[in-house]
Amino acid sequence: MPLPAKAFQLWLHGVAPTASTADICRISGIKRTTLAQQLVRGKVAETTLVSISRALKRSPLEDLASFDSFAELAGQPQPPTPAELVSQIATMDLLRSVISRSSPAYGGFGDDSSRLTPALSPAPHATSVRNWVDAIDDGELRHRVSAATGVAPQNYSAQLTANRLSPELAVATARAAGVGFTGGLVATGLLTEHEAGWAPEARQAALDALSDGELTALAGERLQSLGRTLRRQEQEHEQTKKIWENLG
Amino acid sequence: MIAVLQWTTLAVCALVAVLRVPSALRGENRSLFGIFALATFAIMLSINAIYLPVDAWLGSENYANLILRFLIYGVVLLAGYKIAKGFDAQRSIWLIAGPVGLTVLALVTVATVVPFLLANTAGSSTGLGTLPDQSANNVDLIKLYTVAGRFYPSFVAACLLPATMRTMRSGLPRLPRSGAAVLAVGASAMILLSLSDLLPRHLAYLQYFISSTAILGLVLGLTLMWLSRVLAAKRLVRR
Repeated sequence: MPLPAKAFQLWLHGVAPTASTADICRISGIKRTTLAQQLVRGKVAETTLVSISRALKRSPLEDLASFDSFAELAGQPQPPTPAELVSQIATMDLLRSVISRSSPAYGGFGDDSSRLTPALSPAPHATSVRNWVDAIDDGELRHRVSAATGVAPQNYSAQLTANRLSPELAVATARAAGVGFTGGLVATGLLTEHEAGWAPEARQAALDALSDGELTALAGERLQSLGRTLRRQEQEHEQTKKIWENLG
Repeated sequence: MIAVLQWTTLAVCALVAVLRVPSALRGENRSLFGIFALATFAIMLSINAIYLPVDAWLGSENYANLILRFLIYGVVLLAGYKIAKGFDAQRSIWLIAGPVGLTVLALVTVATVVPFLLANTAGSSTGLGTLPDQSANNVDLIKLYTVAGRFYPSFVAACLLPATMRTMRSGLPRLPRSGAAVLAVGASAMILLSLSDLLPRHLAYLQYFISSTAILGLVLGLTLMWLSRVLAAKRLVRR
């Protein structure tokens, strides 16, 4: 459930009492029609709130927490676990790190790797939502989330496959896993790491803490699932081409 | 009401056939143009106002109806084969155009032609519903002829349905998938058409809706596939 329009307008009036709707849209880059539609429907998307909060140089996390459905976000946030941090590193960055740690003969830097490899690309990445859930899943997480929220497991899986998760479900997932609430919001791209209160070097530190074996195994898993995705895409492309050849 | 439905169906079909002329001239998938053109003729022959003059010209023995049957078989065979090939459904191709399919077609042809020749078909009647000769023997022969005529499209539709449903649920782009969904609706209607003789008499008019749904499903489904190819090509050019 997105934010109720009434509460949203109350919040907006509180934080920008003199700004007109046109001003708000201009500074936040939201289309006027989009905002108007959300207000008419009575449901305002969380991304709208975050964009406005960002544009007003406020803390999106705190502003989100001022709404009843996200009240749990208030207060000192529980920091992400190392597994969550690593899950938010793009597959290609993991692979780059594998190479960097290798001996100079293979183009690596040996032990100095983390200082010399280029900085990690910012979260989220192409499969960050599924990787985040996998990182906090104890095997029963999906069942608990679906029992708690009433969302069917296949719908939940479909969202993960599409690298999407509604903010409400992201929070519910974190709650069911007993981890901090910011992980899912970063993984879905609603908040940046900085806005979520993560330390700037937190992901790099978590990556450096992985042993060579752990890193290589993880990179291998990622590479395998990337391979599956690419193969499926190629198959679908072939199928589409065949349809067009015969029926186009 | 029924006339409006039939003329609308005809207009849609004829429009698609005409739109397909340029690509047929360029040599792209000519059989698709064939499907649309044959379907247009078939619909024309199921409309009273066109059927009666055509049949009068052919001698008022309802040979126009026989032609209509074979137009439909042609559309169904051609469309079934192309769709099965497009969806890469080997089993469907085998069932439609392989030994099984050709045997079924041969049997249906016999079951269409023989009763027609044996029956007394004098006196034009669209759909053969109101032939002057209503003797029990004649009615039975015409019944057999009608059942055979509905069986073949249902057979092909049933062969296509699994592949169509699979494509509909796959992860393909949206337009081909919706095309498959529309084709699935058409195929289901074609199967229902075989069972529609079981409808009680006062609901018999539903047959017209079912047959229109079947033909429109086929034509619009194929049009969506075509559209998806055109749009994809345009996107490629823009890039």
